[in-house]
Amino acid sequence: MTRFKELDPILHSQLRLAVISLLIGTEAAEFTYIREQTGATAGNLSIQITKLKDAGYIEVTKKFRNNYPQTLCSITTLGREKFTDYVNDLKDYLSPE
Amino acid sequence: MENEEKMMTGEESLRIISEMINKTKFDIRQGSFYLLFWGWLIFTCSLSEYLILRFTDYAHHYYVWFLAIPGVFVSMLYGFVKGRKAKVHTYTGTLYKWIWMGFLISAIVLFIVHSKSMGTVSPYILLLAGFPTFVSGFLIKFKPLIAGGISFWIIALIIYFVGPSFASLGTAVAMLAGYLIPGYMLKNRVDHDAV
Repeated sequence: MTRFKELDPILHSQLRLAVISLLIGTEAAEFTYIREQTGATAGNLSIQITKLKDAGYIEVTKKFRNNYPQTLCSITTLGREKFTDYVNDLKDYLSPE
Repeated sequence: MENEEKMMTGEESLRIISEMINKTKFDIRQGSFYLLFWGWLIFTCSLSEYLILRFTDYAHHYYVWFLAIPGVFVSMLYGFVKGRKAKVHTYTGTLYKWIWMGFLISAIVLFIVHSKSMGTVSPYILLLAGFPTFVSGFLIKFKPLIAGGISFWIIALIIYFVGPSFASLGTAVAMLAGYLIPGYMLKNRVDHDAV
């Protein structure tokens, strides 16, 4: 019987996976941009971003632009590695042979 | 996006990954502004210089090139405003920006070191311009821009062998082939607008 590796619980959630997938191809993205693209509510997105940040998968930088606060998110090296592992594990699930 | 803890199937995970990655691709039409702006500016300058040389005895025909100085500021202002407004920064977009910034700096240095013999600078500028044009074409997978870069190199060689008399007209032709035609094709492109 084929034994599967457990999928990373941090990434195996709709919104967190969407955030990491958005950040994988970018240098940095604004919180408002991520909210627009994922269609998530600000509160829910904020909670999931904090979880990703606490796990060390993303970095969150707060700045000011034209006197308005701006939250920038970017993926870390660890986040990139974990995302690659997640995709590889997912491939194993979908085509175990 | 629904409840974040909802269980996902493998197919759902793949769909989310694919959908989100597609959303962050670099919009290749962004580059068309610079191609059209500089294409028209340099085309106007070079054609004006050609007409002045061809039909008048005016000695200061090179004055037309001073139009490029406000052009640099307009370009920088446009890039600055666009950059400030951008909510996402892609690697392709950043690479694209710095390749052209490197070209701009190289061109300024070339103008300074060549200031005493401006009449012969055209092939070198085209040689330089061919590089970012060619590389940008590959970066955004857009063949007309790759061909545009190659056309700059060919026209640079023709100007070198024919002589300075062909420099103004050759530069105008290069702007058509290298910037304006690819620029309009890029602007109007709708079928494949991101990389």
